Amino acid sequence: MHPELYNQHKVEPEQYLSAQIGPLELWIRHTGDEFHVAVKRNAHSENVIETSHPEPVKDTPDACLSWSRWVVGQNFDTMQLLPVMPDRPVVVRPATPVSIPTGNEALFFVAVPIWVDISVFGPAKVTLLQAPSVVLSDTWFGDPMTGELCYSMRTRARRKVSDSPVRPHRVLCPVLIRNTTTEQLDVERFCVHIQNLTVYAGQSRLWTNEVRISFRGENETSQVKYVESAPEYEHIDRLLSNPRAPQKKTLLQRSFSTFRLFGGEGE
Amino acid sequence: MTTLAVIDWQSLITRDMIIPALRVALLLGIGLPAVIITAALVGRATAKRLSAQSAMLARKAVLYFGIIVIFVAVFQQTGYKLTALIGAAGIAGIAIGFASQTSLSNIISGIFLISEKPFQVGDIIKVGETKGTILSIDLLSVKLRTFDNQFVRMPNETLIKEKVTNITRFPIRRVDLNIGVAYKEDPKKVRDVLLDIADKNSNCLDEPEPLFRFVNFGDSALEFLFAVWCVKSDYLKLSTEMMLEIKERFDAEGIEIPFPHRTLYTGSATGPLPIRLVDSQDKQISKSESSQL
Repeated sequence: MHPELYNQHKVEPEQYLSAQIGPLELWIRHTGDEFHVAVKRNAHSENVIETSHPEPVKDTPDACLSWSRWVVGQNFDTMQLLPVMPDRPVVVRPATPVSIPTGNEALFFVAVPIWVDISVFGPAKVTLLQAPSVVLSDTWFGDPMTGELCYSMRTRARRKVSDSPVRPHRVLCPVLIRNTTTEQLDVERFCVHIQNLTVYAGQSRLWTNEVRISFRGENETSQVKYVESAPEYEHIDRLLSNPRAPQKKTLLQRSFSTFRLFGGEGE
Repeated sequence: MTTLAVIDWQSLITRDMIIPALRVALLLGIGLPAVIITAALVGRATAKRLSAQSAMLARKAVLYFGIIVIFVAVFQQTGYKLTALIGAAGIAGIAIGFASQTSLSNIISGIFLISEKPFQVGDIIKVGETKGTILSIDLLSVKLRTFDNQFVRMPNETLIKEKVTNITRFPIRRVDLNIGVAYKEDPKKVRDVLLDIADKNSNCLDEPEPLFRFVNFGDSALEFLFAVWCVKSDYLKLSTEMMLEIKERFDAEGIEIPFPHRTLYTGSATGPLPIRLVDSQDKQISKSESSQL
């Protein structure tokens, strides 16, 4: 991980700054009392791992960039990028279904694409934009009347940190699933409320605090515990961003769904 | 003129009259604004906790109740006997009831609609040919705003009798796309291409999964139903995006979307229909031949 990527950076008037976090490229311009931001997402190169901290660019950026403007006022001359969790829960679907027998537990490392928060500082902090590094597909979790809108993620549900490739735009989320029922748990999909998670900067990658989900039966709410401390799978340098939606330490949430929508044209 | 001049106004306006008059003025001058303000405050307070429809009902209930109380108090101050008034109102009520059966039917239908809650303010409903967003649900009628910005007043009685479709009741909707391809195309390839299009569109929900159904061997095409799910607010956007993407991908993949066509043949007993190519010279000859005929 680039050491200066998430530090504060000075933006001189009429200066273009450029930064890259994997497939996400950003341009920031400070002019008068305005900040301009352009975002370019390389949709077909999710494996891009180049990273560069915000630094001045000499050439005028590509004319085809789509810019947004913010009038923030005078005396704003510093900006900062921060990784934040996506704004909705994710439904994680392992590429190969995993089964957890009665009384067992399994730890998975889910690599979630971050959103990048772009803020400027002056007399106060002003958040300009939060841009997803990868646009995830929408999905519905639960039944069509009372479920919730989530992002969909197909994952290999890796069990070891070393198996998970280091990518600058992904944050590794440890999810421990415990089967407390008397039946085998077939994990085809599970929902993680990632808005409740904190983002930490580790030595080599980004981390979230651990989520522990206790499966209590089909169509039952699961007991979900958000471990409050930083994960212990790597040395953690610092906390980067707080949860979007702080929650209680332990709560009951629907995390597994076996709902299937039957029917065709009119059935 | 002289008659007016000799009237002793002071003897006519007694102390017994001034005090009730002041009370009436106070009731109307302070009571009515107080009721209007209280109703507005109730509406605002309930708006956060209840639905828009319930908040509106609470506000109107407070307003109407307050107005009735003030007018009863005003009548009392002015010396009218309320028993006589209520009796007269009862007789008048029967007469008005006979004269306004439709209105009463609408009021009763409105009460049913409010208690049954098939829709609420802000929902999009379809009744017959009319489709629009509900602006208000009142005792006599439901007010709609259509998508071309027209105001429609729909009597409650109609809504009780007719089939009402609440389009936005549930959070997700299905976009049904009827697709036809030429007979020479491979249906499995068509299915794979359609599923790939849905997979790549981020507004198309992964779950519930898209539905692919081979519907019919049509007159001119193999007919399919391809149905994808989306959040209700994305319905129009997704349906348009899917149509554009399907056309683009079908063109790229060489999948033909046929137009209706008809093959003429004379049956197995005869050979193919004889065709004679006619050039411009022949046309002139045939014209002259036809003119001679």
